[in-house]
Amino acid sequence: MTVAELRPEHIELFSTTVTEFFASISGDPAIVRSAYLLENSADPVLWNDFNGLIEISGGYVGTVCFSAPRSLLTHVLLLSGEGQYGDEQHLDIVGEIANQFSGRARLKFGAALEISTPFAFAGRARQIRGRAKSAPYAIPFSWRGYEAGLVVNIETAEQA
Amino acid sequence: MAIRLMIVDDSSVIRNRIARLVADPRLSYVEICGLAGDGLRAVELAREQKPDLVTMDLTMPKMDGEATIEALVSLLPDVRILVVSALADRTTALRAVMKGAHGFVLKPFRDEELLHALLELQA
Repeated sequence: MTVAELRPEHIELFSTTVTEFFASISGDPAIVRSAYLLENSADPVLWNDFNGLIEISGGYVGTVCFSAPRSLLTHVLLLSGEGQYGDEQHLDIVGEIANQFSGRARLKFGAALEISTPFAFAGRARQIRGRAKSAPYAIPFSWRGYEAGLVVNIETAEQA
Repeated sequence: MAIRLMIVDDSSVIRNRIARLVADPRLSYVEICGLAGDGLRAVELAREQKPDLVTMDLTMPKMDGEATIEALVSLLPDVRILVVSALADRTTALRAVMKGAHGFVLKPFRDEELLHALLELQA
């Protein structure tokens, strides 16, 4: 199976995925800003109320993490018709969205990009340590006034 | 006679959403016979409830969707399985069909997409 490296055009794939996801669930696309490398950054990788982390394996190693404020996730829960809005539902939906963003990446990377079930957690300002050695990309975006982000750190298994 | 549907997805939000969609009048002949959050539970429930129709996530803990499809088809050869997954590549869809799935809906899905897929599966 062919295994491609993570390149800027792949970041474009994640950006498009984010835009289309929110357009699909609400009719309003997310507005994705320029992605940037978190190289040598002391900033926390995750900065929001809830985070959904997907581990990448197979022909690739790394992580994809979706980080969002409670208010954004509550809005998504409302749109999906969910009747409960506790932490349990927020953790569930942040993990599910991370799963959907990662799954869509297989359009570009193929089935060699194996994705884990989501690990969802609450809390701010955490660094994540994946097996990938390269610096992660942060992809910030806004949707209906909420600020959120995706942090993507993927490299081929040979690079790791 | 009612068609018995089992919903399998590790997200309770997605399970609940599919369950609400099944309340649509166009699916009035469908009744939910079980909800499962992983593949092992789905196989257990299938033994007890003998569903006619299953919506199946692929990325799940304990037993993934592909293995669960295989187990369900072996247990209930006539069961019809609609995969509802975020895994967007063609290989995954083909593999699911080869294991016994009858349709594929990509997440995120619109309500009408899933309704039509369920209706088509019954046509």
